[in-house]
Amino acid sequence: MTDLPPPSAPPVAAPPAAVGAPAISAALTTTTVQVKSDFRGARIVLYGAVFDTGDRPTDVVVMVRGPEQPVRLTRKQKVAGLWLNSRPVVFDGAPGFYRAASNRPLQDIATFSTLRRLGAGVDHLTINAPAEQRVETRYGVRDVVVSRLGPDYYDWRRAVVRLKEKAGLYHEDQQGVRFVDRGLFRAEIALPTGAPTGEYRADILLFQDGRPVSSRARTLTVEKVGLERALYVWAHDRPWSYGLAAMAFALAAGWAASAVFRRD
Amino acid sequence: MDIYLPIAEVSVNAPTIVALGALVGFISGMFGIGGGFLMTPMLVFFGIPPAVAVSTMANHVAASSMSSVIAYSRRRAVDLRMGAVLAAGGVVGAILGVELFRWLRLLGQADLMVSVSYLLFLSVIGGLMLVESVGAILRRRRGDTAPARRDRRPVWLYGLPLKMRFPRSRLYISVIPPLALGAFVGILSAIMGVGGGFILVPAMVYILRMPAGMVVGTSLLQIIVTTALTGVLQAGRNQTVDIVLAILLIAGGIVGAQYGARASYRFRAEELRAILALIVLVVGLRMGLGLFLTPEEPFVLMAGANG
Repeated sequence: MTDLPPPSAPPVAAPPAAVGAPAISAALTTTTVQVKSDFRGARIVLYGAVFDTGDRPTDVVVMVRGPEQPVRLTRKQKVAGLWLNSRPVVFDGAPGFYRAASNRPLQDIATFSTLRRLGAGVDHLTINAPAEQRVETRYGVRDVVVSRLGPDYYDWRRAVVRLKEKAGLYHEDQQGVRFVDRGLFRAEIALPTGAPTGEYRADILLFQDGRPVSSRARTLTVEKVGLERALYVWAHDRPWSYGLAAMAFALAAGWAASAVFRRD
Repeated sequence: MDIYLPIAEVSVNAPTIVALGALVGFISGMFGIGGGFLMTPMLVFFGIPPAVAVSTMANHVAASSMSSVIAYSRRRAVDLRMGAVLAAGGVVGAILGVELFRWLRLLGQADLMVSVSYLLFLSVIGGLMLVESVGAILRRRRGDTAPARRDRRPVWLYGLPLKMRFPRSRLYISVIPPLALGAFVGILSAIMGVGGGFILVPAMVYILRMPAGMVVGTSLLQIIVTTALTGVLQAGRNQTVDIVLAILLIAGGIVGAQYGARASYRFRAEELRAILALIVLVVGLRMGLGLFLTPEEPFVLMAGANG
C-alpha cells in the first residue's frame, strides 16, 4: 500500500482488434439527465453485449465517473477537552460521482495492480493530489494540500471515500452487472439528488483471465433545465441583482401578509 | 410533494418546509425575535447545506419580521428613532461580520465559532432571562412589588456624550450604547446565521432600560435592516441564497408571524420572556453539545472547496 495511484489513470487502451478477438459493446438508455423541480435522482440503464467466439469466462466491469471537483475536508481533534476542527486538507480533484459495477467481486476479476491502474473500485479510484505536499494561500488563509503524508494520507483518502459513499455519490456494486442472456448484460446507474451537474463518463471493460481485453466509453450529461437552470445561472452570473430581487420579494411578501391580515 | 432546490442542490419535502417556516414565523412574531437561531439548525437537520441555510434564513427572517413589525407599529409599539440608531450600528456590524465569517470559513473554524457562539450567548442569555422572568412571575404571584432598581440612571447611558431624545421610549440617553449594541448584534448575526433578536430583546430591556412594550417592535425593525443587508451580501459574495427555499419558508413564515404577533398579547411580558428563555437555553445547550461529545465520524467534508 505504499504505491500511490498515478494522477489520472487513463482508461484501458483497447488492444488492436484481431479478427475474432473478444469485443464489448454498450449503450446507455438515457444520455441526458434533466434536473427539474421534481428531480429526485435518476436511474440509468446500461445495456451491452460481449462478442466472443471462444468460451473463455468473461467478466464485465462498468465504471461511471462524474465531473472532478476539489474536495476540502477537516478532521475533528480533541484539544483541551473540546472537539475542534483541524486545518483543512484539500484534494485537488476527486470525481464528483463514482460508481463501479461488476458481475462478481472486483478482486476476483483482476489483480490489485490491474485494478489500481484502471482506477476500478472505490479502493482504487483516483483522487488527484499534487505530487508533493505544499501549502497554498488563498484569500489570506493557508490551506495544506496533501499527498505524500505517509500513513496519514490513507486515513484522509479513506475518509473522502467514506463520506462520499454516505452521500450516495460513491458506490461499488459487486453484482451490479447482470448477464440477462448469453453475451448480453445489463447494469443500472443510480444518480442521487445530490449528483453534480456536468459530463459523466462511463467506461465499460471486458476482462478475460484477469486482463482487460476490450473497452468502450460512453458519455452522460446531467444538466439543470428550465426554471432551475434560469435561477442557477442568475444566482451565479448576476449575484447582486439576484440577491436584491430575493430580498425585495421577501420584504414585499411580509408587507402583503400584514396587509391581508389587517382586515380581520 | 418533493421539490428540487436549484442552489442547495437537494430535494426537500415542500409541505414540511412550509410548516417549519410557519412555526418559526409564529415564534418570531410572538417574541419579537428573528427566529434564525431555531431555523438555521433545523434546516441543516433537513439536509440543507449549512452555508445555504445560514444565507437563506436571512430572507425568511426579513419577511416574517416585516410581517409582524407592521402589526406592532399599528399598536404604536415601535420606536422608530431608536430602531434607526440600532440599525445604523447593525449595518456596520453586518458588513464586518460577513467578512469575518468568510475568513473563518476558509480557516475551517466556522463550525467551531458557530458552536461556541451558540453555547456561550444562548445559554448565558437564556439562563439570565429565565432567572429574571421566573423571579418576576413569583413576585407577582405573591403580590410583592418589583424591587427598585439600584441605579436608576446608569453611567453608561447618561454619562456618555452625544445624548439624544427618544420620545416614544421616554428616554434621553447617549447614542453610543445603542450604536454599539446594534454593531455587536450585526456581527453576531452574520457569524451565527441569526437575526440577533434573542440578544437584542434582553439587552434593550436590561441595558437600554427601554419600556417593555416598545422592545419587541423596535427590535424587529433593527432585525429587518440587518438581515436584509446580510441576505443581499450573502447572495452577492457567496451565491448561497436559494430563492426556491426562501419562497417555501416565507410562505409559511409570514402567516405564522401574524398569528404569533396576535398571540403575544394574551401573555404577560414576563411569561413571554420565561418561555423564550427556555427555548433559547435548550437550543444553546444542544448546539454546544457537539463540542464535548466524541464525534462518530472524525472527518467532515467542507463546503466552499471552490473558494
